Amino acid sequence: MIDPSEHLVVDCDWHYADTFTQVAPYMPEPWKTKFQKSGWGGTGVKQNLSAFFPASTGNRFNYGKIEREFSEYPDGGDDKQDIVEGMDHLDIDVTLQISHLILAMGGISADDRRVEAFVEGYIDYMLEEVLDPDEGIYGLAPMPYHDIDASLDVLDRIEDEEAFVGVVMVTAGASPPLGNRKYDPIYERCEEEGYPVVYHTGGSGLDDYVRAGYQDMIETHTLGFLESNMSQIVSVACQGVAEKFPDLEIVFMESGVTYIPGLVSRINEEYLKRSEEAPLLEKKPGDYITDFYFGTQPLEVSARPDLLEVCFDMIGTDRMLYASDYPHWDFDSPSVITDLPMLSDEDRKNILGQNAVEVFDL
Amino acid sequence: MSAETRVEVGPAADFEDGDAELVQVGRAEVGVIKADGKFYALRNQCPHDGGPVCEGKVEPRLVGEWGGPGERVEQEYDDDQCIISCPWHGWSFDIETGKHIGDDRYVLPTYEVVVEDGVVYVNAE
Ligand code: FES
Repeated sequence: MIDPSEHLVVDCDWHYADTFTQVAPYMPEPWKTKFQKSGWGGTGVKQNLSAFFPASTGNRFNYGKIEREFSEYPDGGDDKQDIVEGMDHLDIDVTLQISHLILAMGGISADDRRVEAFVEGYIDYMLEEVLDPDEGIYGLAPMPYHDIDASLDVLDRIEDEEAFVGVVMVTAGASPPLGNRKYDPIYERCEEEGYPVVYHTGGSGLDDYVRAGYQDMIETHTLGFLESNMSQIVSVACQGVAEKFPDLEIVFMESGVTYIPGLVSRINEEYLKRSEEAPLLEKKPGDYITDFYFGTQPLEVSARPDLLEVCFDMIGTDRMLYASDYPHWDFDSPSVITDLPMLSDEDRKNILGQNAVEVFDL
Repeated sequence: MSAETRVEVGPAADFEDGDAELVQVGRAEVGVIKADGKFYALRNQCPHDGGPVCEGKVEPRLVGEWGGPGERVEQEYDDDQCIISCPWHGWSFDIETGKHIGDDRYVLPTYEVVVEDGVVYVNAE
């Protein structure tokens, strides 16, 4: 045996547990100030460390400008009381809860059970501790759509639970895109159960698009959520999901509304030239799209009023669903809808609540 | 300026840099803010969605300068330009003019502030 003290010893991998508190004071300006104001809070490796080294889309806290709690995703997490308080603050009577963590599922390419294991736990947790139809707190069940059988198991699990009123398909990172026949069994079952399918953007998988290398969140947040929804809308429309499952309600969430007329115009133009590539369609793909429902948030309230009017007109006020996205940094309060001058009171009421009552059978 | 058109805010000595005090001026809620040794008053109602903008952060504006083709944009805080940012979604306004720093069509109404005998007043007109 040799005595290490008498020989050369090389450790090739020591990890110094540096904290941002230690390092930030030594950073050059303006990064030092930007970061110190970025709301990173504590130190160490946790979610809000992404304020400086973003995993994907940068600093939601906007370098400390946005002071609402949760904007920077603290470690704590919500509980039912936070929902009750938030509903009260925004004047919301009924809320459909969407899992925040599941939005990253598109980034997982490993063939393991982590997404379904998470969903299983999430559903039991929400049923046990959060959802409460008597107080207007309902949930949408995430679909672990990588695995169709696992998704059908989730549908079995929630079948008799009044608190779940639909399912969520995360649009970011879904591959193949969600119009593929692979997903038909999920759609078939949802149609049968009367569960609307809510397609929801997410922050994962974004860097697979050509914008990898963007520098700031203003860039990725302009296009990221939009592109992941647009790519699924095109797939769902062209592959004829609405023809195969005519009673299925299709909802797209969280990309605002101004992109829809442009997308409809483009897809219809393509269809005139290449109709044979979408043989299931009985009408122009854009006509299916404007039959989908759309969450309004984040509504582009600063757009030219006449543009917004055209968008509302093309989508139809009977197809729009108010969504807050609270407590995220870019949430919309109901006044975003009530203050729109071009709407009638009837339209406002429909967008704020009546349409959702019908779609989700509340 | 007659006494009736003024709203008394309080002793100037009570304000530290960055402090804001809310007062009612007619029908409007107004934030009186001390920044960089000077007083400013702005309507506390964000043109975006009505957020309490005067409760937001007051800080120098981050500006960038381009050195030429292929150069990085050098960013720095400009101590001569002070902005206030709405805590709800982050719209930022020049504290002096009330104009949104990205689109000057959005303007927070500003009010004149006077300090007399150590007391801060907002001109209600
Ligand atoms: S209400 Fe002020 S930024 Fe939205």
